[in-house]
Amino acid sequence: ENVDPQKTAFVLRKAWTLYSVTPLYRFHRARLRDYARLLGAFIAAEKQKGLAVEVGVELDIKVALSSLAELRGSEQDQAALLVQLSMRSRASSRNSEDKLVWSGWFCSVYGDDLSENMPKDFTCLPLFLTHGAESYTSMVGSWFQKTFDCCFCRLAISPLNLSWMVAMWAGCKADRAASAVELVFSVPRLPQPLNISYAIHPEDAKALWDTVQKTPGEITQEEVDVFMDCLYAHFHRHFKIHLSAAKLVKVSTEVASAHCDGIVKILHSQYLPGVLMLLTELAISQIQ
Amino acid sequence: MDETVAEYIRRTVLKIPRDEIKMMLQKWGFLSEAQLQTLNFHQIKDNISQEVVQLCEENSADIKQAAVLDIIYNHIHQNKRMWSVYQMKKSGEELEYFDITDFKKKFKRKLQSALKNVTITFKEYEDNAIWIRVAWGTPYKKPNQYKPSYVVYHSQTPYVFISASVLKSNLPLLCQALIVASNYHDIREMELRSHSLNSLKDIVFKSYSQNFQTYCPKLRQGGNGEPESVFSPATDIRIVQENSSEKERIHRLNEEVFGCGPQPKLEFAQYKLETMFKSDPKMGVLDKKEPFRCLVKFSSPHLLESLKSLALAGMADAPLSPLLTCIPHKARNYFKIREKKGSFPESFVSP
Repeated sequence: ENVDPQKTAFVLRKAWTLYSVTPLYRFHRARLRDYARLLGAFIAAEKQKGLAVEVGVELDIKVALSSLAELRGSEQDQAALLVQLSMRSRASSRNSEDKLVWSGWFCSVYGDDLSENMPKDFTCLPLFLTHGAESYTSMVGSWFQKTFDCCFCRLAISPLNLSWMVAMWAGCKADRAASAVELVFSVPRLPQPLNISYAIHPEDAKALWDTVQKTPGEITQEEVDVFMDCLYAHFHRHFKIHLSAAKLVKVSTEVASAHCDGIVKILHSQYLPGVLMLLTELAISQIQ
Repeated sequence: MDETVAEYIRRTVLKIPRDEIKMMLQKWGFLSEAQLQTLNFHQIKDNISQEVVQLCEENSADIKQAAVLDIIYNHIHQNKRMWSVYQMKKSGEELEYFDITDFKKKFKRKLQSALKNVTITFKEYEDNAIWIRVAWGTPYKKPNQYKPSYVVYHSQTPYVFISASVLKSNLPLLCQALIVASNYHDIREMELRSHSLNSLKDIVFKSYSQNFQTYCPKLRQGGNGEPESVFSPATDIRIVQENSSEKERIHRLNEEVFGCGPQPKLEFAQYKLETMFKSDPKMGVLDKKEPFRCLVKFSSPHLLESLKSLALAGMADAPLSPLLTCIPHKARNYFKIREKKGSFPESFVSP
């Protein structure tokens, strides 16, 4: 559980787009360098075909694949797999550093539900997180799909799951400079669409959650419902609007933020395992 | 011609949508009709702007003239900027005769005495609006022409609309200059902001309120005598009688509160809530003596129309909360709500 903050620092404070991934067939950890080479060649070929990202400038994409043993829940989980694409412009000098243009990583944090009865040839890394241009994501995804016969699917986060997240995270210990607990709702089907941002002082949100949560270390659906109902009732008292009928699209706290389109940002390493565990669970239920 | 002026003119022309360039240059009037005829408006904008700069060079344009073109662009594209509303106060009741020359002189004098490096440009429009553009410098630097402030003042009203540049430190000086020039003695910022300058004018000049006096036509009757659904022109046969009378009730309440005419166009409203959290004691939740602090922000391309449609969509009770419906009346879209002391828990006070 002791995660080296250095190794996982790259995860923090970036917006990651989420995917669920079915198990990889015949993936071998020992062959990472081979895979990196093959993926690099694939990307070069894709760009030649005219699916280039940049126009007019000659660019080399370098691929690096690495394992991150730190990013997992238990020994049963596979170590995370990090894919990084860097760019070195041929035009620039020999001394110029590679510029990281895209990163994506596969992981499983307490993903026993999926890996339990999986045949040996399959590697379970159900959660895939990407940061960078969509075109690169598409190329990397295609290569993995072709090579390991797996399937990627955008991971949407339902309002139900978002409310779980906000309730859980609101209860986390507040830092001295904590940011507000914010819920963003959207009412799209009106003649003029409406967005509502409902931001609560973190101390007050935590105080409310603390009185709702009965068993420490355990959260029930009922407790989440009560928490949300309290927030809805407070809002209704003032504005006479039924927030429960609006669509919860984004939640944001000091710990992390999540958007219904499947985008998360994790802000504190302390809560990284918890967040990843929740996301792994979501990915697995999307696969099954 | 100064090269900074040339560059400024070039960038200003580049900002203008291609099909508006000719019209704006004509409004500007700095280039002659003959010169405008020589311009080819069918080439890429980069080239058009270069040609304009060349013509301006022939006429020896200076920054003052360039600034007028900038005002023209911003007057037409006023909704790109965020406007705040300020209200000025007079000490006495006398209606003084407004002398535009005197105003301009006093305004310039006040600003230039405090800040040597400043570019001030005026333009008057037919609706009695005076547009003022101020580019700010420092004692050691020439004015930054790319971050000016704009002021719109209708002289028969005590209201000023300001689109400040990012350099907010100049606001106090700007306000000072305004009250000195217009013979008022105080100015305060209202809690009202929007991109739609006309809507702000509608709200503070209270022109919208006339809708309340006009006769609101009855709900259109459909073919078989049923009230028509607001969302579809044809009678919605899926709606049964009780629901349609409910719809009618909501529609009527909306009209009472919002009036019949179009709503002024605001994009957001913000509420800082410092009220108590109240809940059913049975729930056993939070019962603090301190306020439950929240910040609520509503946003929409057309907020008031959006709020108006909430009850009909089943998302809100009708009548809608006064906190929302008071926006045009109170001429504000920023609120701080505290609990009213010792009275009904349902009433709020907004300082």
